[in-house]
This record gives sequence, structure tokens and C-alpha cells, in this order.
Amino acid sequence: MTELGLVARFVHLSASILVVGSAAMLVLAGRSDRATALAWQSRVEALTRALVWLALAFGVVVLGHQAATLESRGAAAIEAPALARVALETRFGHVWLVRHGLLLLLGAFVAFRFDLRRAVDWRAARGQSVLLAALALAALAAGGHSAAVEPSAAVAIAADVGHLLAAGVWAGALPALVVLLRAASRDAGADARPYAVVAARRFSRAALALVLVLLTSGVVIAAAQVGSVGALLGTHYGRLLMVKLALVLVALTAATLARRRVLPALGGDAATIGRPSMRRLGRTVLVEAVCALAILAVVTLLGVAPPGRHETPDWPLSFRLALGALADAPDAWPLVLVGSQIAILGVVAVLCSLVLRAAQLPLLAGGGVLLLAGVAMAVPPFATDAYPTTYQRPAVPYQAASIAAGAALYARDCATCHGSSGGGDGPAARALSPPPPDLRAHHTALHTAGDLYWWITHGRRAMPAFGHLEPEQRWSLVNYLRALGAAEAARRLGAVVESARPSIVAPDFAFAVGPTAPRALRDYRGARIVLVVVYTLPASRPRLAELAARYETLSPLGVEIIAVPADGAPDAIKRLGAESRIFFPVVTDGAPEIVRTYGLFMPGAHAEFLIDRQGYLRALEAAPRGTDRLLANVQTLNEERVVVAPPSEHVH
Amino acid sequence: MAVWKVVVLIDLALALGIGGGYLWWGRQVARLDRELAEARTAATGPRDFHGEGVVRAVLPELGVVVITHDQIAGYMPAMTMGFRATSPKVYDAVETGDAVRFTLSGVPPNLAITAIEKLGRR
Repeated sequence: MTELGLVARFVHLSASILVVGSAAMLVLAGRSDRATALAWQSRVEALTRALVWLALAFGVVVLGHQAATLESRGAAAIEAPALARVALETRFGHVWLVRHGLLLLLGAFVAFRFDLRRAVDWRAARGQSVLLAALALAALAAGGHSAAVEPSAAVAIAADVGHLLAAGVWAGALPALVVLLRAASRDAGADARPYAVVAARRFSRAALALVLVLLTSGVVIAAAQVGSVGALLGTHYGRLLMVKLALVLVALTAATLARRRVLPALGGDAATIGRPSMRRLGRTVLVEAVCALAILAVVTLLGVAPPGRHETPDWPLSFRLALGALADAPDAWPLVLVGSQIAILGVVAVLCSLVLRAAQLPLLAGGGVLLLAGVAMAVPPFATDAYPTTYQRPAVPYQAASIAAGAALYARDCATCHGSSGGGDGPAARALSPPPPDLRAHHTALHTAGDLYWWITHGRRAMPAFGHLEPEQRWSLVNYLRALGAAEAARRLGAVVESARPSIVAPDFAFAVGPTAPRALRDYRGARIVLVVVYTLPASRPRLAELAARYETLSPLGVEIIAVPADGAPDAIKRLGAESRIFFPVVTDGAPEIVRTYGLFMPGAHAEFLIDRQGYLRALEAAPRGTDRLLANVQTLNEERVVVAPPSEHVH
Repeated sequence: MAVWKVVVLIDLALALGIGGGYLWWGRQVARLDRELAEARTAATGPRDFHGEGVVRAVLPELGVVVITHDQIAGYMPAMTMGFRATSPKVYDAVETGDAVRFTLSGVPPNLAITAIEKLGRR
């Protein structure tokens, strides 16, 4: 994105917003027959006219820039065919056409100087300007980041429309208000002072509601586009959002000052009232307007930056806050309890200072000190070490192929110290201080996948760095460690499905049956219960025959059976023989990885794993007999209300 | 003309334009759907379909070969099912575990295997 494109987008967005606000401010201020008020109205009308054409002109520049970017050659910006392609064949272009059609209509409408002496005509003309300008602005939402939100784009677009319109009326109206307040604070403008006071009061009331809309919709949009603390602090988009929030805070402080201090001073006798106050109000509103312009500049950058959710966050701090950190330091509990109470006391004091008339400043200052002290006491126990990669998502999905690769790397590079099963009891462990930790412990799960990746890459305490491994290999090790933890947690699972909240993700795997196209376990998500059967011939033959005989009953109940030969033989189907009628999938491709991975959960020649429709492991059994228990389990799963979302493709 | 009448006219035109555009779009979608359905029903004569898969069972006494197959273009998605064969030779040509390429002929859904060959893999 070149500077020219950014500037064009900024001017276009600012003009579009100012048009909405100016038109809305004229409606808010109402009719008047005072000379200064009339002069102000025609000034704002002239401003609106100029802004509409400005928006249109820079809109054309934006379209040209988009064409040049899409075709990656500058000349496309001035070629009619290239422009037509962008306008007619892209979503951006469709939205552009609708918006500029509306702006053109608005431009034509405000170009006429209507006779607005009748109240009904005045309302119709002013209302129409607001309507057309608002439609043109709101349509922006259909082409922005929100339109790409999955799965509920409608909610995101609605939030975006609300955000745009509220910002349009609030930020866009500020310049018109500044002009009015300045005109009225001059000697010659005394006749319009009551009008200006009424206008400022109405705007202030409206602004309160608008700011609430802005905050609510802003939170919804941020949740959709950023989604996590890691992305907020760790990505370009998130940091831009923080800058925007800081600017909003400055503008809100100015607005609160104006509302609480300056506006009340404007009351009183019409002829003599508050010229200095009015000038002060004009200055505060000017501060707000400058902030609003700066916010729009940041918004322009946000509009072209990839949303934080889709970026790899680069965590900037050496710590992060996590609830789990407290479990490691139980003696910090009293500190947290006392600190949080002090902080709550501080919040109460600050709230009191806002409500009470007396002793405002001491209350505010005291409350602030208490709040800071409480936070300083209560928060540090939650802090835990963090690294630039802490919030990175693994580059490799949590799949059997990756886990098996990780297991091989682990056996080669890690097992001498960490022990062959992760218990920290390898042959070289005794010489190390501190000793290697038990990797299977719940403790490991408290660290993010990104933390583990960092330690593998850079080493930790007595552990050397393994940065020479490929990134995929390091992520595979992380996936293996996660699988180790999951296998440890799976010890509490039995042969019977418990109705407790499922939490152990069944590692995904890819497989093929004969020459057919590869499938994956996750293809069955939301559709089938899957029974993964790891078998060994000839011992497992009776069990397979039993399952095959029941397959016609199980299949309509929503069960798919995937048989995995423990020896990973590619001719597994042939080995099953001609006389057995086994028609469920028998894995001929990908079996060794599945056996290696699911062997962590239950090793042995024969093992069955029941996976629910969300992809969670629910029951496992080594040597089942009969199908009664399986049928009962399936019935439990079929009657279960789905409460847990399917797991993410990656570990965390 | 009074300004409010002008405004009402503009808004009417706008609403008609948006409504008309929406209806036109709806008609386009309906037309495309209809054409698609017609194209689907057009092919009613005897046809050939080709598939690849692995033989799971050969059951001459039932008159079927059970095959786990990939998607058969224009006919059915990937699944395991039994197919009839027109010639008894088909039952002798393959055994359980063979990877095969096969041809189905006839008027859907009355299809039968007319040709089958081993792929040589697995």
C-alpha cells in the first residue's frame, strides 16, 4: 500500500464521515431565523457540497489505486478497462459503485438551493441529506474486513454499520459545531448564542448515546478482528487499535470536561451569557475534532492492515498474565485476595468521586492510589514468563503425522534427559541441575504451545537450544508433548462414556483405503461417531468379525468404524481374507502414524477408541468383548446435548 | 413543486431501484437453478460411469462385488457398496483387497459393472 493510496483513502473516509456529521448537525441544531444562525447554516451547506465532491474525487483515486494494486502495474489506474474490471468484478468494486452512486445523488441533491422556509420542506431536505450520506457511509461495511468474518458475517457487518454511522454523526459533526460556537462567541454573533447553546446541548446528549454505540460495536468488531490479547499486543493491527483507543480516550476526556464543566456555564440570560464559556467550549470541541481526524488516519491504516486474528502475534513483553500461574505459587493467594479488595475499594472511591459533588478531587486521587496499589499487589502473582512466540499458533496442525514425527525426534534428541516417556528420568538426567521436569504433568499444559516452541528453539536452564531443527520439526515436538499430556489426562477415561465435559482432543489423522482419495478423521466431525480400532491379526479377527456383523446396526446409529492394522501393512484388506465380510474402512495408508499416536493413549495389540461427533476422545478399551457396551456408549453420545465446540485444528 | 415532494419522489425512485434490482437478482438465481436442474435430468439414456476403488468382498451367490470406491463423477460420492455385474467373469477376475478400476453401464440407478481391471497396486 503506497502513501498515495493511503492518503486517498484517508481523505475519502474523512470527507464521507464529515458529510454525514455536517448534515446531522444541521438537523440537530434545528431551524432558526437569526442572521448568524442562517449564515452558519449556509456555510455548513457549502461545506457539505464541497465535501461530497471531495469524497467523490478521492473515491475515484482510491478506485484507480485499487486497480493498480490488483493488476500490480501503475498504468492500470488510468486505463478504463482495468477500472471497469475492478468496479464490475470485485466485491470492493460493487460496494464502490453503490456508494459513489449514492454520493452522486447526494451531490446533485445539495447542489440545488431549495426554498426551505416551510417546516415540512426543511425537515424533508435536511433529512434527505442525512439519509443519503448515511447510506453511502454505511455501505462501506459491506466491503471491509467485517464482510470476511466467518461464520457470522451478518453480525460483524451490523456492528460495522453501527460503528460507522455513530462515528459519522459524532466525529463528523464536530467541525460544524466548532464553526457555530466560534461564530456565536464573536460580538457580532450574539444573536445566535441561544441557538448555539441549544445546538451544543442537543449534540452533547446525542454524543453520549453515540459513544455508547461506538464502544459496544467497537468491542464486537475488535473481538472479531483481533480476538485475543496476544494479537492485540503482538500484531501490527492490534497495536494500531491500541493507538486508536488512546486517541479515543483523549477525545472522550475532552468531551467529558465539556459536558461537566463548560456546558452548565452556558445557562443564563440570552444576551449576556457565557461568551468566554462559549469560546472555551469551542476550543474543547476543536481538540475533539483534531483527535477525531487522527483517529480517522489510524482507521485508514487499520482498513488496509491484515486483521490481527490472521497474523502471527509477536508478543512484546517478557511476561503475560495467566490464571494457571497462581497454581504454581499457592502462598501468593493472600496477596491476591487483599490486593483485589483494595483495588475494589479504589474503584468504589473513584465512582463516588464521579457521583458526589463534595470532595471530588481527594476522593478521585485517593481512589486512584488505592486502585494502583491493589493492582500492584494482586496482579504480579498471575504473571508468568512469556516470549515473542508465546501466542503463536503452531505452523503444523495437531495431526498423527506430526505427532509421530515429533515422537521420532523426541526419541533421538530428548529422551536421554527427559526419559523415553517424558517422565524426566532419562539416563543423563541425574547429572542435571535443576533436573528435567515431568513433561506429562498438568504443569506443562499451563504453558502455551508458543512457550514450548521458544524453549525448544532457544534452550532453557540446563537444556541446550535445538534451533537447528526445522521450524516444522520443532512444532512437531510441541505437538508430541501435547499428545503426551493428553495421553496422561486420558488415564481417567474408561471403557464407558462419562457425561463429564469432554476435553481430550482425539488427534486428527489422514488415511486412505486402497486407491481411494485420502480422508481425515476431522471429515467425520459434526456427522459421525468414530470408533478407531487398532487391531493385530490373527488375535483380533473374532472381534473384527463381531464388529462387522454389527456394522449394519451401528451405521444407522451414526457410527463409523475405522480399522487400523497395528503392523501398518499396506495389503491389510487382502490379509483380512476373502471369507470375512468387513465393509468398514480398513486403513492401508497412514496406519503407522495412527498406531504410533494412539499408542500413546493405549498401547497394545488391540485397542479401541471412541470419538464423539465433536472430535473428542470419550472412551477407550484394550480387549472388548461383545457389542453391548459399545451400543450403550453410542446411545449415551446420541442422547447427549452438544455443549462443547469442536476443538481447534492446532494445539494452544 | 414543494421540496418534500421532491424528496419523496427521490426516495421512491431509490426504493424502486433497490427493490427492482433485488427482484432481478432473485430471478437470475431462480433461472440458473432451473437450468442446472434441467441439465441434470437431461441425461436419462444409458451411460457409462468410471470409478476406482478397492474390492472388499466378492459374493457371486448374492450377485455383487462390494467395493470401497472414490467419488464416481456424475453419479455418487465416495462410499462402500455392492455392485451387480453383467458377466460372471467379473466375479472370477478379482478378489478381496484388489485395487480396481471399473466401469458401470446402464440407466441410473440400474447400473452394473461391465468392465473391471486390477490396478496392480495393493
